[in-house]
Amino acid sequence: MTTETFKLGYNDIHDDVVRSIVKTGPKYYITLATAGSVTLLCFFFPWFYQLYYGIGAAGMNHPGVWGTYLASFIFWIGLSHSGTLLSCVLHLTNSSWRKAMYRSAEAMTLFSLVVAATYVMVHVGRPWFIHWAVPYPNQMELWPNFRSPLLFDVMAIATYITGSTIFIYMGSIPDFAAVRDRTSGWRNTMYTLLSLGWRGTDKEWHRLHWAYTFLAVLIIPLAVSVHSIVSWDFAMSIVPSLHQTIFAPYFVVGAIYSGTAGIVTVMFVLRKTMGFEQYITKLHFDNLGKLLLVLSLIWTYINGVELFTAWYSGTSEEYEALGYKLFGYYAWLYWEMILFCAVAPMLMFSTRFRTSFVPMLILSIAINIGMYTERFLIVATSLSRQYLPDAWGVYVPSLVEISIMVGSFALFTTLFLIFVKIFPSVSMYEVKETMATPKMEPAAPAAGSPA
Amino acid sequence: MSLFSRFMDGWRKYRKPGYYDEFDYHWTMTIDLDKCTGCEACVTACQAENNIPVVGEDEMAKGREMQWIRIERYWEGEYPNAKLSFIPMMCQHCDAAPCETVCPVGATYHNQDGLNAQIYNRCIGTRACAVYCPYEVRYFNYYDHEWDSPLEQQLNPDVTVRGKGVMEKCTFCIQRIRQAKDVAKDDDRRRVQDGEMQPACVQTCPTKALVFGDRKDHESQVYKSMNDPRNYRVLDELNTDSSVFYLKKVDA
Amino acid sequence: MPNIDRREFLKLVGAGGVSVGAGFMLREANKDPREYLIPHVLAPEDFSSGLDTFYNSVCSMCPAGCGISVRTREGRAKKIEGNPAHPVSQGRLCTLGQAGLQALYNPDRLTAPMRRTGEGESASFEEITWEQGLKQVGDRLDLLRAARRGNRVAFLTQGVRGHLAQLFESFMRQLGSPRLLHYDFDHPHTLYAANQQFFGESRLPYYDLANTRLLLSFGADYLNNWISPVHHSLGFGESRQGRADVRGRFVQIEPRMSISGAAADEWIPAKPGTEGILALGLAHHIVAEGNYSGADLGAWTNALADYTPDAVAEQTGVPVNTITRLADSFVDTTPSLAIGGGAAGNHSNGVDTLVAVNALNYLVGNIGQEGGLVLNPEPAGPAVQQHRASYSAMVELAEAARQGEIDILIISGTNPVFTLPPAAEFAEALAQIPLVVSLSSFLDETTALADVILPSHTYLESWGDDFPEPGVGFSVGAVSQPVVSPLYNTRGTGDIILDLARRMGSSSVMPWQNMEEFLKYGWRRIYQRGDSQTLAQGFDAFWTSVLKAGAWGETTNGSTAFTLNPDVIAGIGVAPPEFSGSEEGYPFILHPYLSPNFHDGRGANLPWMQELPDPMTSVVYGSWVEVNPVTAEEMGLSEGDLVDIQSPHGQLRVPVFVYPAIMPNVIAIPIGQGHGEYGRYAKGRGVNPIEILSPLLEPITGNLASSATRVNLTPTGGRVKLVKTGGVSRDLGRDIVQHTSLGVEVSSAADNSIPITEVTT
Repeated sequence: MTTETFKLGYNDIHDDVVRSIVKTGPKYYITLATAGSVTLLCFFFPWFYQLYYGIGAAGMNHPGVWGTYLASFIFWIGLSHSGTLLSCVLHLTNSSWRKAMYRSAEAMTLFSLVVAATYVMVHVGRPWFIHWAVPYPNQMELWPNFRSPLLFDVMAIATYITGSTIFIYMGSIPDFAAVRDRTSGWRNTMYTLLSLGWRGTDKEWHRLHWAYTFLAVLIIPLAVSVHSIVSWDFAMSIVPSLHQTIFAPYFVVGAIYSGTAGIVTVMFVLRKTMGFEQYITKLHFDNLGKLLLVLSLIWTYINGVELFTAWYSGTSEEYEALGYKLFGYYAWLYWEMILFCAVAPMLMFSTRFRTSFVPMLILSIAINIGMYTERFLIVATSLSRQYLPDAWGVYVPSLVEISIMVGSFALFTTLFLIFVKIFPSVSMYEVKETMATPKMEPAAPAAGSPA
Repeated sequence: MSLFSRFMDGWRKYRKPGYYDEFDYHWTMTIDLDKCTGCEACVTACQAENNIPVVGEDEMAKGREMQWIRIERYWEGEYPNAKLSFIPMMCQHCDAAPCETVCPVGATYHNQDGLNAQIYNRCIGTRACAVYCPYEVRYFNYYDHEWDSPLEQQLNPDVTVRGKGVMEKCTFCIQRIRQAKDVAKDDDRRRVQDGEMQPACVQTCPTKALVFGDRKDHESQVYKSMNDPRNYRVLDELNTDSSVFYLKKVDA
Repeated sequence: MPNIDRREFLKLVGAGGVSVGAGFMLREANKDPREYLIPHVLAPEDFSSGLDTFYNSVCSMCPAGCGISVRTREGRAKKIEGNPAHPVSQGRLCTLGQAGLQALYNPDRLTAPMRRTGEGESASFEEITWEQGLKQVGDRLDLLRAARRGNRVAFLTQGVRGHLAQLFESFMRQLGSPRLLHYDFDHPHTLYAANQQFFGESRLPYYDLANTRLLLSFGADYLNNWISPVHHSLGFGESRQGRADVRGRFVQIEPRMSISGAAADEWIPAKPGTEGILALGLAHHIVAEGNYSGADLGAWTNALADYTPDAVAEQTGVPVNTITRLADSFVDTTPSLAIGGGAAGNHSNGVDTLVAVNALNYLVGNIGQEGGLVLNPEPAGPAVQQHRASYSAMVELAEAARQGEIDILIISGTNPVFTLPPAAEFAEALAQIPLVVSLSSFLDETTALADVILPSHTYLESWGDDFPEPGVGFSVGAVSQPVVSPLYNTRGTGDIILDLARRMGSSSVMPWQNMEEFLKYGWRRIYQRGDSQTLAQGFDAFWTSVLKAGAWGETTNGSTAFTLNPDVIAGIGVAPPEFSGSEEGYPFILHPYLSPNFHDGRGANLPWMQELPDPMTSVVYGSWVEVNPVTAEEMGLSEGDLVDIQSPHGQLRVPVFVYPAIMPNVIAIPIGQGHGEYGRYAKGRGVNPIEILSPLLEPITGNLASSATRVNLTPTGGRVKLVKTGGVSRDLGRDIVQHTSLGVEVSSAADNSIPITEVTT
C-alpha cells in the first residue's frame, strides 16, 4: 500500500522532523506557557486546596462517594488504550498507514497514563499514604490487600505504564540517533544519551525489530487486561447497575473507542501545528474513521445489551437504576451520550466524511465528550440508586472538580507539548520504509550515518 | 521457628476448613421491627459514644450526613391506609463482607470476634468500601470536623476522633467490647457474660428492640432472638452473611 | 581548604553562634506552654485517671423525670445512660435525654450574672458579680416584703416537682405572694382536670402498657412526647413482644400520624377535636351491646344515648363498622386500656374528651387492674399541682403586669415568650415590669428581655430531686446530684433562692445554706417512712444509698378500689370542637405537634437535635408543613414549595412536605424551631407555629386550645430544597421491611431485659 510519502525523499523527512524539534517559534512558547499556567491554575491549585481542606471541596456525598475524579481517571486510562494498543496491533498486522502516527499515539498513551495516575492521588482521601497501595516490605509488616480490584488496578497500570514507556522509548532509539546526528550543543548531548550509542548496524536493526515485535505481542493482552481490571473496580461490587459481566468488554471497547477518537484529534492538531501534512494524510483519517465506526457499532451493541439485561432481569433494583439512567436527574447526559457516541458516528459510513479533516476532528471531540459522559454516568447513576431506597441521593460535581477536569486536559497538553520538542513525533525510520529507496548520492551527509 | 515453617503453619491453618469461621466471640445483634418506634434514641446515643461529629446544615444539604446508625423509613399504601415502618440500619458486620475485599490497603477486615473492623490510620480514603457496601452504612469524613468549645469536653476518650479522608462506620462499640474483654481477662480469664456489655444503641433503646450478644453462647438472649421464627436478614439474597438479624414486623 | 583569615573566621563563628542562639530562642518561644499532668500524689477528688466514675442523677430534659446514670471521666461528663435501678427509665433513655450532655457543654451557655444596660435596640448585657446581682434583687425583695407588698412579686418557673417546688412555695409564702406559676406549654392541664372530674383526684394515673393487650390511644403520642415516653416505650416493647404468647395491639386515633401512630397496628384518622365523641361512640356500643353490667347501667345508657354509631360516624369521619369493631375488641380483649391526650386534649372540648376516655376504661373494668389504668398513690414528695398555670393564668399575669401590679418577676427555666402565642401579649407585659430576673442557663427569648440574669447550673451540675408523675403504680423518687463541677460562674437554682431568702430576712424559716442541705432535710421525712431496716442504718447511710442507687421506691400501691360518683356520669358528654376562623376563609385546621427533637423548643440549641433527622420526615435543620398528598396535588404543591400559612392571628412562611398520613383538610407543623434567640444553633431557623395560634380556650381549665386554630394555605411560588437525610421512602417491592401475620410467628423469646452490670475497672 503506497502512501503519499512515496514521492518524498529521505532527507525531506529528516528535515521536517528535526525542524519540528529544533525550531521553536513564539507560537510554541505561548502555547506552552498557556497550557502550563492553565495546568497550574486549574489542576494544581484546586488540588492543593483540596489537599488542605479535604475531599469536601469536591461534590461527593453519601451515597455518591465516587464522582468525576474516578470518572476522569477511567476516561484517561481509556484514552491511553488506543495509542499503544493500536500501534501494537497494527504493527503485527504489518499495516503501513500506522507508521506516520504511531509515535504520537504512543505518547498519548503514556501521558494519559501519567494524568490518570495523578488523578488517583486527587481522588483518594489521604494521598500522602498512597504508597501503602504498593507492595513493599515495611516496618508495619503489612502488605496491601491483594484481593482488591483496586490493587489489581495498581498492578495493571504500573505494568502498563512500564511497558508503554519501554515500548515508546525503544521504538524511538533510531530516531534519537538520527536527530543526534543533525543537532549540536546541549541537544546533541541529550540525544547522545538517549540514543544509547545506536549506530544503525544490521545486527542492531535486527535486534530492535525483534524486541519491538516481542513487546508489541506482550502489550496487546496487557492493554486488554488493564481496562478489564479497571472495569472490575465496578463490576466486582454488588451495586445493581455495576455488577455485570459485560463491563470488562464494555470498558475495553469504550477505551479503544475513545482512545482512537483521541488519536484523531491529536493527529489533526499535529498536522496543522507541526507541518506534517504530508505524513498524516487522508488515508490515515479514513482508516481511523473505519476503525471508529466499527468500535461505535460494538459500543452501541454493548449499551443495548446493558439495557436489555436490566429490563429482562425484572428486579426492582435494576429497573429503578435503568429508569433513573434514562429518565432521571442525569437523563439529559445519557441522551447526549447516545447522540454523540451512537448516532453521530453513523456519519462515518460516508467515505467523504471520513476523509474530511475538520468534520472528523469535530466528531472525534464529540465522541470523547460522549465517552466522558459515559464514565460519569456509570459512577453517578449507579451510586444514586442502590438497594435501599431511603438511602438514595444525588451527586452534583463542584467547581473544584470541574476545574481539575479542565486542568487535566491542560496537564496532558503541557506534557505533550514538551514531548514534541524532545521526541521525534513522527517515526522517521518507519516512514522511510514507505518511501522509495533513494539512489545512493555520491556525497554522503557529513555525519556519515546511513540512517 | 524459621520463616518457612512459619509460612507453612499459616498455610495449613488457612487451608483447614472453618478458618474463616473460627471466631473467638461472634457478636450478633437482633432488631425487632415490631418494637422499633423510630424514636432515634440509638442515633443520639451512638453519636455521643463514638465522637461522631455534627457536620452542620451546609454539609447536610450536600448530603454528607454522619450517622453510624440511621433509621430508614418506608411508607406503604396511601391515605387513609398509609403505614410507616422504621428500620434501623447500621453496619451489618457481614461475615462475607463486600467491603473487606475491595480495600486496597486492607484498612477493613474481619477480626477474630466476627466484627468488621475499620482501621482509621490505615485508610487512604479510596471510598471503594462505601461503594461496595449494599447497605450503604459507611460514612466518609469529607472535612476535618470541629467541635464548638466546650462541646469537645464530652468526647469519649476511648474512641478516636477521625480526621479528614478517612472512612468510618458502626463498630458495635468495639471500645466497650475491648473493655469488657479486658475485665473478663483480669477476672480469672473468663468469657464475657451475656449482658455484661452492650453497644450504646442497644443500651438506650427504650422499647428494647435491639438485642446484642455473642451467638456462640447458646444461653444468650441474642441466640434465642436470632433463632426466632420471625428472623430474617436484610438483602440476604446478596449472601453477605450479615450479623444483624431483623425480626419481622407483625401485621395484626 | 578555602582561604580564610582570622577575622573572617571569627565573623563566621560569631554569626553562627548568634543564629544558633536565635533559633533556639525561637523554638523555645513557640513551644506550647508547660502543662502538668494530673499529679497522683495530691490527686483531685473523684479523679482516677483512665477510670470511669458513674453518677446517678435525674434527667430534666422533659417532665418525665427518668433516672439517669452519667459516665464521667476525669471530671468531664461523657455519656448519659438510663439508670437500670430507676423504675421509670429502667436503664433506657430517649434521644433528648442523651443530648443532655450538649446542654451542659453548650457554647452558648450563660457563664456569669449579667445586667441589662441601655434601652430598646441598643440594649446589651454587662457582666456583674453574684454579689451585685443578688444584692440588687435581694434588696428589692426585702423592701417589698417589709412593706407587706410581697404580692407584687411573681415567680414563673417551668413545671418542677420535688423539693425545689417546695422551696419555691416556701419562698413565695415568705413574701406573702400567691403569684407562683409553674408554666409548661405541654402540661396536660385537661388530663388533670379530667382525672379530677372522673376519679376525684388531680393526679395522673399509671397506664400499665406493659401488661395490656389492646391500647386505644386518642391523640396521645405516648411513645414520643406525652408525659413519660421512655416508660411508655418500655411498656410498649413489653406488651408487643416481651411476653411469651401474647402480643399487644395498639390503635392510634388522631388526624395526623405521629410516632405512636406509626408504631400502632392501626391508625384511624378522626376529625380534629372529635376524638372524645368517638370514645363515647365506642362507649355507647359497649353499653348497647350489653357488655357492661354495672349497677349504674341505667345512668350510662342515658348519658350515652345520643352517641349512636351513625351519629358518631358522621361527626368524626370514622366509618360505622370501625367504631363497632373497635368497641367489640376493646371489650373482648382483656386487659385493654384507653388513653387520651396530646392534641385531642387541646381542643375546646378537651376535658370532656379525656373524661370520655376515662369512661371507656371504667366501662371495661380495667381501673386498678393489671394492664389497665392504675391509680397512683399520693406522691412521696411535695404536691404542687395547684400552682400549674394554664394559658389563662399566664394571660392574667400579663394583664396584672400591664396594670402595674407586678414589681418583680423571677423566671426559672421556662420560656413563655416563645411558647405563648403573641395573642397573650406576654413580651409586651414583661416590658411593664420594673425588674425581671431570669435564672435561666441560656439566653432564650424570655431571658433576652430580662433586667438581671442570675444564671443557674444545668441539671447535670445541680442538686435536686424528683418524684416522677405519673408514678409507676407505686411511689418513686430520685435525687439529682451534680455529676461534674460547675463549668462556669453559675449557681444552683435552689441555692439562688435560698440566698435571696436570706437577703429578705427569711433565714429563720429557710435556714439551709444550700440546696443539698435542704434536700437532706426534706428527705429525712422520706427516710422516716422507711421500714425498721431502713431506719436502723441511720439517715446518712440512707442518703448515701439513695444517691448510689439513683432511685428510691415504696411498694405500697395506690388504691385499687374505685367507685364512681354517679353525678359524673350525668355530666358526660362531648360537644363538637370549636375552631377559630371560618371554614370559608380558613379551610385547613392547623395541627401543631411537639417535635421529637426539640420538645417544646427547649432542645433547639442542641446541635445533635438539630442534626437528628425528624423520625417521620427525616428533615433536619428546619421547619416544614405536612400536607396530605391529594391536597398537595390539587394545589399543585410538591416538596419544598414555600407556602404562606395564615391564621386569624398571624402568618408564617414554610416549605411543604407531602405527608402520606394526614387528613386532607389538616396541616401539621412541628413545634420547636423559629427561635429569635437561644444560641447559634437555634437562632433564626425555621418557624414557630405557636406564633399563629388563636387564643381559643378550653373553658374548664382555661388552657390554650392549641389544636383549634384554622388556617389557610397560599402557595408563594418560591421553592427551597428541604434538607433531609431520607431518599425515597418507598420499599419498591424490595422487601426490606418484612412483615408477617399474627398467629403464626409470635415471638417466643423471653423478656428481653438484661440488667446492665456496671463495668468496673
